Amino acid sequence: MAQELAEASTVFDEKSDASDPETPYTRIEPSIRSLVARPPGGNAIDTAIQGTVISKIESIFEAMVDVLLKERGQLFLVLTSRPGLQIPQGIVIDTASPSRHAQHICFPGRDENEAWRLAVVTRILELIHEAVRNNITISKRDIYYRDPALFGRQSNVDKYVDTIACTFGVPRSALQVTAAAKGLVAGALSFCRRNGDVVDVSGDIEGILVPNMNDILSINVTRVEWILVIEKEATFRSIAASNAWKTLSTHGVMITAKGYPDIATRSMLSLLSNPSPRNGFRSPPVHGMMDFDPDGIAIYSTYKHGSKCTAHEPDELQLPQMKWLGLSCDHMLRNADSCAEQGLLTLSLRDRKKAQKMLEWKALANEDDLQTSLRSMLMLNLKGELQILDAVPDGMSNLLRCGLPKREVPWV
Amino acid sequence: MSKQYLQTHTVPQAHPTDIFSLAVTPTQLISASGSSSIKVHSTGAGTTIHNDSAEEENPFPEAQVLEKAHPLGCHHVCAASEGGVLASVGFEGDVKLWAAGEDASWAEKGCIKGEKAGEHWALAMSSEGKFLVATTHDGRVNVYDTTQINGEVKAAQTITQFETKGSFGTCVDVSPNGEMTASGHQNGSVYIFNNSTGKMAHSLSGLVKPVRAVAFSPANKYLAAAGDAQVIAIYDTTSGEQVTTLTGHASWIMSLSWNFSGEYLLSGSYDGKAKIWSFERRECVATQTESEKCLWAVKWLHKAANARNEMFVTAGASKSLSFYREASGT
Repeated sequence: MAQELAEASTVFDEKSDASDPETPYTRIEPSIRSLVARPPGGNAIDTAIQGTVISKIESIFEAMVDVLLKERGQLFLVLTSRPGLQIPQGIVIDTASPSRHAQHICFPGRDENEAWRLAVVTRILELIHEAVRNNITISKRDIYYRDPALFGRQSNVDKYVDTIACTFGVPRSALQVTAAAKGLVAGALSFCRRNGDVVDVSGDIEGILVPNMNDILSINVTRVEWILVIEKEATFRSIAASNAWKTLSTHGVMITAKGYPDIATRSMLSLLSNPSPRNGFRSPPVHGMMDFDPDGIAIYSTYKHGSKCTAHEPDELQLPQMKWLGLSCDHMLRNADSCAEQGLLTLSLRDRKKAQKMLEWKALANEDDLQTSLRSMLMLNLKGELQILDAVPDGMSNLLRCGLPKREVPWV
Repeated sequence: MSKQYLQTHTVPQAHPTDIFSLAVTPTQLISASGSSSIKVHSTGAGTTIHNDSAEEENPFPEAQVLEKAHPLGCHHVCAASEGGVLASVGFEGDVKLWAAGEDASWAEKGCIKGEKAGEHWALAMSSEGKFLVATTHDGRVNVYDTTQINGEVKAAQTITQFETKGSFGTCVDVSPNGEMTASGHQNGSVYIFNNSTGKMAHSLSGLVKPVRAVAFSPANKYLAAAGDAQVIAIYDTTSGEQVTTLTGHASWIMSLSWNFSGEYLLSGSYDGKAKIWSFERRECVATQTESEKCLWAVKWLHKAANARNEMFVTAGASKSLSFYREASGT
């Protein structure tokens, strides 16, 4: 029976009657092997995997509801993990597939410990479901802080997230969960930690990882005249290494979440730019620099309005004052000759579908310029990446010089 | 010798967003934009054409607004040059067919639902309005019979489907005599199809970069094609030979239109310039710069019977409609 299970990649099984151990497991989820076997890369596949993740999670919850409604019967969550990965107690070695360790969690739980493990898994699944649904990225730290009392220790979250990813047969990124804070921040600011340490970010020209907001007591942004939010790490690094940054870093802050922003990076931005006692009541303007493509606009919108599904709800992390600095259609036109070879790309069908869907987003309903950009992309059937600016001499520094607020030269 | 064109009238902010497409009938100009409504302007008044005053009070009154035609905006609109039938396609993917009633007002006649993404992009129509052609994201060109599209159609039957090598179909045109269809593609390909045999007649090379406009001359003898290569290539539709290349634009060419005698070709570019080319002399005879904003569409108007000079209209990211006519006495 175990072998059958392994072959079908079944992750979740329902026992129709607990009193009859010989009753075959009913397979609820179709095999996802075909999906995993597809070639890696390509966003369409990512979307498909995410769809699978959502439907898997939902079918587990549905089955739980069924068990509750029937008031009898039991349900086994079969979690597998790669060898070498330490799983909390209760491992059942699945002899039929020695390459994998399987862990069964029974629902309803048979003892207190099992009930707790089930609660942990259920809570994590719920948060993953929310993240995938809303297309936001959360870190393991985010998950832990959503319910520290339940999880107890960060390490518990880490273990179960990896186990769930392994069980579903997808990379952890498909669950929209990152290992830790992924954001980078650089520029003229310093933090004061709760333990009294002061971290001077300007000392590190390459930037530092965005710290956990719960460890930060206050933030010193008195020298900050603007904040630049960058879509990609590559661009962040390229600016950090440029000559222009030597001047800019004395009065600006640059931050990136490396793609769709996580909560930690958005919290940091909110703390930086929304006036509060923790930042000395400052509100430096925020500018976004993203690719000229549907994802660039979606990422910008996530920073500004939150994820699309929650955009209509109040969200303390929103940045309504954020402005689009680039790329724009005009940047591409101005450099049309030089960048024609590199950086200008044709929209894929996925891009076109995404742009079309985004035209319906409530979050963009009042963003006329972004809607115009989306329609221009569709009309021209083109997109452009920030790397275009590298193809033009001083492309990036010109854009920064023109787009960022002019420096108010202090009166001497 | 250059010609002079005067801007005779402007409808500022004709639409709240970029105007993407224009269509003309003998008496009307139809404009489509990123907003949900399609606007119809009357051009048939004819009374103001002799008036040299540019301050004439609105010679192109709004005749009708097709409210909420396409919720996410409309990227292409085309009309039968004889009038009577109009087609539009929106960013949501639906194609709508409109029929003119006895009072010349348009009413929705049918709709092809865009259930498959990328199924309808550029549109063109035969001069009497019986055939509608639409390009797809994967390079096909579908031909529909407009008389068969009534009410909401989920999967409209195509009369013919022209296959190409799979590159996005950016633009399309039907020859005035209805015998040929031409399509331009993202990869620079231009094809001419024979409508009666359903076969490809010519595969025209030469542009390499994305093609953004194709247009048959009024007498069906030539096909003009242009795009990111910044030149206009003119082909003989019978032999498939390239007749000439018109150079002068310094940006992507977004739109082309022949005047009704076939003597002049009008082009609009991404940098906001409209050029008028003499086909006989193979050169640019006039350049109009209204703004630096993209001209998504340029179009000659039908010449009113009592009019002395032909007029053309330009539209684009400026959101305005600008009307020009040749200056008298040149």
